[in-house]
Amino acid sequence: MHPLEDLSAYLDGELDGGRRAAVESHLAACDSCRTRLAQLRATARLIAALPSPVPARSLVPRVAVPIWLAPLRTLATIGSGAALFLFIASALTTSVTQTSSGGAAAPALAPQPEQVQSDRARGIASAGPSGAAGAAGPAGPSGPTGVPAPAFGVAASVSPPQKSATEADRSAAGTPTPTPFVRTDTGTTAPTAVALGAPERAPTTLSPLLWLALAIVLAALALVLHRRLRSA
Amino acid sequence: MNAPLEDANAGLIKQARAGDARAFEALAREVERPLYRHVQRIVGESADAEDCVQDALFSAWRSIRAFEGDSFRAWIFRIATNRALDRLRSRKRHPELPLDPPADDAEITWAEPATPGPDLVQIVGDREALAAVEAALATLPVDQRTVLLLRDIEGFAYEEIAVITAVEIGTVKSRIHRGRLAVRNALVAKGWRGSAG
Repeated sequence: MHPLEDLSAYLDGELDGGRRAAVESHLAACDSCRTRLAQLRATARLIAALPSPVPARSLVPRVAVPIWLAPLRTLATIGSGAALFLFIASALTTSVTQTSSGGAAAPALAPQPEQVQSDRARGIASAGPSGAAGAAGPAGPSGPTGVPAPAFGVAASVSPPQKSATEADRSAAGTPTPTPFVRTDTGTTAPTAVALGAPERAPTTLSPLLWLALAIVLAALALVLHRRLRSA
Repeated sequence: MNAPLEDANAGLIKQARAGDARAFEALAREVERPLYRHVQRIVGESADAEDCVQDALFSAWRSIRAFEGDSFRAWIFRIATNRALDRLRSRKRHPELPLDPPADDAEITWAEPATPGPDLVQIVGDREALAAVEAALATLPVDQRTVLLLRDIEGFAYEEIAVITAVEIGTVKSRIHRGRLAVRNALVAKGWRGSAG
């Protein structure tokens, strides 16, 4: 009786002492079973020699990193891109606005010298502190210019710097020569235009930089999270 | 065969059981490819095999505290094998992957080639022979294929295979022999012959 069922177990060293000895004594006397044992051994070696398929991706679950890390990286990446887009869009908008409103901005800026002029004119007309001092005599420096106020040459001494400052403002604003100064203006509308003009320009110049800063911060965050995920 | 691996990873296993995720990932990286090659030959499709292995590893992480056996490798192979068999059961419409093993009392036949060709012993490593072995394995009943892979490729002992597949050692012994014989017969049918070595 051939111990066919035991040949593989014998080959694998999985038989206990008694059965192993029985198989060995049979093999010593049976050519057929020796051939079968050799074939089983060769078959086992062929199976063991099969090439190993390799997975196309890593199959190790990333249990060492918090589960929210990957979604946060995605959000940071998307947020960085969105902030960059907003930076470009707002920068372009600001540029276009400034270019197209180059002529329109002049009226808003133009009253500024008028305001200065009218204020000074009012100060002269109402004989303010410097005027009163000047009328009283050369008592010393007065007014914001620090120029000694002469007794009778107020208009002559104030006009040159006043005129040059006004011209400088006009040339900076790129505006044509304004209409001649009208003394009847009490200065109630001009200060309003100046006060509203200044705050309006602040957000349009700062917001693009804020978007850029946000884009950089989010990109850095996404990079850090990406490295953390890769190293995990 | 696996004892040195278990000894080398004893520290990692202990740390993983204590909740150290990095230790578990290190263990998982060591068994990732063996698990994949085993599961891939059970389920047959690479994408399914990848899903099974990933599921098995994640399941192992969730239940690592309950692991009290001697062999982490056998434990994780058991989880992966169960995942693979579940996957096969979930797609019963595939007739080329029979689940039912042949009856244990089925007659074992030793086919002989009509025209003997090269000796089996001489073709180890031969590409054509390996392709024939791969094809023969794919036609085996899944229970035979599973134990044969666990034995001849992964090197598990019969007792470990019995634990992994949840059957008696006698059943393991029988399935291994039948599976090996079926592969041998497939090769002999293609003209190879055995030697008396």
